[in-house]
This record gives sequence, C-alpha cells and structure tokens, in this order.
Amino acid sequence: MSRIVSYHSITAEDGNLIALYRSLGINYPKFFKMDRMSKAGFLAAEAVLGQAGLRNEEPKDDVSIVLVNSTASTVDDIEFQKTIGDQEYFPSPSLFVYTLPNVVCGEIAIRNRILGETSFYVQERFDAAFLVRAVRWAFADRSIGKVLCGWTECLAGDRVCRMMLVERDGSGGTGFTEETINEIFKR
Amino acid sequence: MEELKQEIKKQIVESLNLDMTPEEIDSREPLFGDTGLGLDSVDALELIVIMEKFYGIKLTDPNQSKGILQSVDTMAEYIAANRTK
Amino acid sequence: MVAIAGHNIYTGLGFGSRAVYDRVRAGSSGLALREGTFGVPEPFVASLFDRSAIRERFGDRDGAGTMTPLEMAMVLSAEDAVRMAGIDASSEDTIFVISTTKGNVELLENAPDGGDPRLALWHSARTVASRFGNPNEPVCVSNACTSGICAQIVAKRAIEEEGYTHAVVIGADMLSRFVVSGFQCLKALSGKRCRPFDRERDGLNLSEGVATLVLTSTGTGIGVELEDGCIRNDANHISAPSRTAAGQTAAIRAVMDEGRAAGLAFINLHGTATLYNDSMESVALHQCGLDGVPAVSYKSIFGHTLGAAGVIETVISCLALKERVVFPTPGYRECGVPYPLSLSEDFRPAAGDRFLKIMSGFGGINAATLYRRTGDE
Repeated sequence: MSRIVSYHSITAEDGNLIALYRSLGINYPKFFKMDRMSKAGFLAAEAVLGQAGLRNEEPKDDVSIVLVNSTASTVDDIEFQKTIGDQEYFPSPSLFVYTLPNVVCGEIAIRNRILGETSFYVQERFDAAFLVRAVRWAFADRSIGKVLCGWTECLAGDRVCRMMLVERDGSGGTGFTEETINEIFKR
Repeated sequence: MEELKQEIKKQIVESLNLDMTPEEIDSREPLFGDTGLGLDSVDALELIVIMEKFYGIKLTDPNQSKGILQSVDTMAEYIAANRTK
Repeated sequence: MVAIAGHNIYTGLGFGSRAVYDRVRAGSSGLALREGTFGVPEPFVASLFDRSAIRERFGDRDGAGTMTPLEMAMVLSAEDAVRMAGIDASSEDTIFVISTTKGNVELLENAPDGGDPRLALWHSARTVASRFGNPNEPVCVSNACTSGICAQIVAKRAIEEEGYTHAVVIGADMLSRFVVSGFQCLKALSGKRCRPFDRERDGLNLSEGVATLVLTSTGTGIGVELEDGCIRNDANHISAPSRTAAGQTAAIRAVMDEGRAAGLAFINLHGTATLYNDSMESVALHQCGLDGVPAVSYKSIFGHTLGAAGVIETVISCLALKERVVFPTPGYRECGVPYPLSLSEDFRPAAGDRFLKIMSGFGGINAATLYRRTGDE
C-alpha cells in the first residue's frame, strides 16, 4: 500500500508567504517572481521534501508531482486581465506566464530537480478520495516511486496549500487513504 | 539623467518582482547573462512593456533590443534620446 | 487493451471528423489573418469558429440559455463521437475527461473579479458531462498545451486501474482578447501562416477547436489502440523548453523500444513553429534515434488549438494511419533546426502500424503517446 512519508499545510495569504520564506533562510531569488499559488506550493514542498530528506538539487527521475485546486489560475487571470483594458492596454508577460495552474508544478520541479510526471487537475473542492485516485494514476507509471501531491488553492473557498509525499509500497509512515488524509489535515 | 536611472531601477524592481532595493542595482551592471542581475527571456519582454508603457518607445527588433536593454545605463541613454512620454 | 471507439473534430473548417479530414486532405486550412478581432492591436493568423453557428446547431434545448459557445461545442462534439462509438454515456462505467487550458476565460471581461461560476473549469466539465446524464464527476486535466494527450493517458489509466469501461475525452479551447494578448506579449505569434521547423519560422498561429475521442476497454473500436503514454517535466524553465530536451527525450524513451520504433509509420510532432520548441523537438528525436522517421506537424494546417490540439491531432493521425498516409507540413521548405527531420510539404505513403505523438507546454511539461493499428477495419 502507498504510504504518506511527510506532509505540511500552509495558508496561502500573500503577507505570510514572504515572511515565511525569509524565516526559513532560503536563497532563491526567483521566489519573488512567482505568483501567490506558486509561492505557497513552493514553500509547502520545501517542508514536505525537507522532512523526507529530498530537499536538494539532485535529479529525481522517480518522483512525480500531482496537484489539484478549484479555481485553476483565476487568481492570476484576474491580474492579467487588468493589463489588457480598453483604456490601458499593456499585457504583462510576467503575469501571463502564470495563467496556467500547472506552472506551480513546474516551479517545484525546477527547484527540486523533479523529472517525473507533473499533472494538475481542477476539482470543485478538496476531495481526499480524488487525491488517492490521482496518485494511483501517477503510480501507473511503473518507474515512479514517489508522488508529491496535494491541494493548492489561493483564491476561493478552501484557501490553503496541503501537500504530502507519498511513497509506493513503503513501510513506516501512514497508509495513503481517504481516511488518513482527512485525519492529518483535520477535515 | 540620474533621476531617470533611479526611475528605471524602481520600475525594474517593481515590474520584475526582484528581491532588492532600486539602489542595489549598479547602473553599469549587465541585466542579462550569468553575471549581474541574471534576468531571463520573460524579464526581457517585461522590460519591453516598460519601455512602451512609461516612455512611449516601441521596441520591435529583437537584435536592437538586446543592445538597448543591456544595462540601466544603456536603457537610460536610449530613453532620453527617444522618449515620447 | 484501450481502443479508440469513436471520435469527432469540430473547428472553423467544419463539423465531423470525416468532413474536416477530407477538407484538410484536399489542402484546406482554416487559417486566415484576423485584423481587429478581439480588439487586439496587432493582426494575427487563426482559425475561428462562427459562434452563432454553434448556437444554431445546439438549438434551444436544455442549457441553451446559460451555456457558453465553448460548452455547446463540447456537447455537440461529444454527442457525435459517442454516437459513433455506440456507447452509453450515461452509464456509471463511463468517465468524462476534459482538456481545456482556459475554458470560458473571456467571461472575465464582464466579471473582472472572477465572479462568474462558468469561469471554473470544473463547472464547465460538469455542465457538459451532465448533459449526457453521466453520474460521475468528470476529470478536468490542466496541463497546458499537452492536456489533450494527458487527458487520454488519464482516461487509459482510469479504464485500466479503476475498471471504467469507456472514457469520453473532450479537448476544447476558444480564443479571446485574453489568450491572444498573452501570446502576443510573449512575442510567440507569427504574423503569417506558421512554418514549423523551417529556417524562416517566426512563431505560432493560435486557433480554436473542439474534439472528442471515446476510448473503450471492449472491442477494437475503429481499429486503433492507445498503446502507451508518458508525461515528464524538464525541471528547467516555466515557459521555455529545455535546450537539452530532457523531458521530451525521457517521455519518448519511456514509450518506445526497438520493436515499436521499427513499426513507426510516422511521428506527429508538436511543431508549433516557435524558435525554441521546434529546435528542442529535433534534439529529442535525435537523442532517441528517431530523426529518420517520417514526421509531421499539423500546426500550419490547424493552427495551435491549445487544449483541443492533443485530441484533434490524434484523430487526424488515426485516420491518416488507417489511410496509410503521412500528412504534409505546409510551410516547411528548409530545415531550421539542429537535427534535420523527415518532414515534407507533400503527402507521403505511410509504412507501419504505429504513430507516436509528442507535445510540450508551459510549466516544463512534455508528453508522448503511442498508438497502434489493430486490424484492417
């Protein structure tokens, strides 16, 4: 059975993300270019991978990333839309590149040299059962041994980033089930 | 000219979300490449937007743009000579 | 085995896979220069839908008042594919998998605070799937431009791992001021019909499109199976492909082996005609020893249909594989990539019973899917 190796949860409000970054003493200038969702996902991944001893730049071709949220990149779409008004039309490239939610996966992959599969799904709400399915799909790729997975929502409703590292057929840790996911994230 | 350079540095820090103060940018420092600020291709495109938005200058030739956007100094020089805003 | 049992393509060129295939087979393309469309300052080349024609075709049935043209087109496309496949889309054994990069993003113009519920991709997915009475929550894949084949990979896994009998995979995207402005400010668009892999290539053409594939675990369907698929990240840059083609090479290697390579009729490349994408693909193919295999990009015929691309191009490739032809890549005249590939402006006979499809997208994502003819249907 797949097992949860480590997990972490952070709320995705702007202010606390930058403060959190500084308090962790991380040196990664690109962090400041990221949109809110990528900042939150990045920091949650730092914690989850850190706990598992995988927070480094070693190439990881057996690790995949599976993330889910409800509003895709609407939080960034709204900002980009402001730059293409009728009166003031100056579309912003640095905003546009964040108008796809799977870019969060990309940012985490770049930071941690994760070379497996990255997939992003959009669902109405945080659903532990769906996460279990999505990770099972990721493990259908036999060369993958670990999946970094979770929920990264920062615009509407459940505005939080919950992340886990799941290992295929591991020992130790907690079994990766709907029940345990809801338990550890107190849902 | 110094005021213009300060203004450019402020816009760079704000539009490109850099974690530094405008004063920390050296006017001669290369903006791109491995030395200096290390900006990338998306940053270059954002600088092109800054040129048009604040100074009314449209940069359409990618080769010409490379030279103009080399440093704050080269940007200021070009803006001073060609601004329409 | 996961077989393709039904399909549909719906673009500005027409409705129905056969109708669209025959037109592009005869050399048509829906690409045309658009000036002033969406109020963007620079003209752009694209194939667009006639939205009123979509509404007319949909008629005044349930949902006509609140559904968007994109959602209506998705329903119409899926209906056609489902009918061809002869499956029960209302069954709990059928799962819907949706691929769209921006859904109804144009609604932001009238709801700039994001307040329109139809902006949510899951909402559109549910709107579409519920029209078929399907009781399952649809799966909404958001993997940038690779979504169309990632959705097929997810569908195959859902069938094989979870016991679904059928999957209805719908790929869809329409253009808007938002999308066109975005690509224009990245300087990714060509002002002319795009020229994949050519020395003079200078960017892509965006286009609108909707398409459906019905996958099944029962029978051989149209005689083509989705044999394998793989997704890999470059872990290099969020909007530019890796110069070493790390992710694409890994994805291709995962689905190919010597036996499969020997049976390749052609490779359907992503071939968006941007400077970096096409170069990267040539590096990937060379690293995999596949640069001699007949190859094709459909982007100078259909344009880049974003979330629909993976589905539209798979359908065309299936029909081409069955007809035993390799499509041309209009606009390709002189090699402009590091490793020459076997591309042509003419139709060529295809020898082989497989085709490989590769795609890449923002976020450093790359995907490869492999298809195989299973019979002479």
